Amino acid sequence: MADSSLMDQTFHYVLSTMVERGFAPHYTEVARALSVPPEEGKKVLHELMGTGIPCWFHPGTDFIASFAPLNNLPTQYRITVEGRQKWFAQCGFEALAVCWLFPGRTVTVEAPCLDCGELIRLDVRDGVVEKAEPEGIFGYIDIPRKDWRKNLPYS
Amino acid sequence: MNLFRSEEHARNWAGFGDPQGLLPLDWVRRLWGVAWYRERLNGHFVSGMMDFVPERNAVLKAVTQDRPFWRPA
Repeated sequence: MADSSLMDQTFHYVLSTMVERGFAPHYTEVARALSVPPEEGKKVLHELMGTGIPCWFHPGTDFIASFAPLNNLPTQYRITVEGRQKWFAQCGFEALAVCWLFPGRTVTVEAPCLDCGELIRLDVRDGVVEKAEPEGIFGYIDIPRKDWRKNLPYS
Repeated sequence: MNLFRSEEHARNWAGFGDPQGLLPLDWVRRLWGVAWYRERLNGHFVSGMMDFVPERNAVLKAVTQDRPFWRPA
């Protein structure tokens, strides 16, 4: 098991890289950032993803599919910051947490309503919803909280 | 975990099941505003994340009025 410092560094590197460029690093990049051989980078990344944090690989691969609050595969939750739409939120609820990755900046979340396909739009800055269209937006999940980890991608 | 234009739209959705999973937007904002979510880029999130669990669970309990559907375990 990697030491906690290495796990912290790996977590920070993956998430900050996604913030910076909009997509997740490969494990070889993780290795380079940690100054370890590629296989060691892969091992540390797998250990990190196995800690229970809401992140996962694409099945059967070493490719990061999701790393909360962002998603490495496009979702319907498009994130725009300062006119640049290059991120996707992991889910509708995590979309509200993306603002914490961009302190002091307005994060716009745009998504189609799954019922009617019409647009939902939120402007969120430092945890404050500055604008919500339409009014009366609701979140919904059909899985009890205690069962989320049994199938994180579905949750 | 999805967002809908209104409670009615959520209830109309083909995937709608247990109504206890409905949350007004402000409840989502409060739940995803705790340190567990705010501190992800603090540089020592993994080693310190368990310190955030009590606050996360307390806010969860308060916001959801401790409904069984929302209990962590």
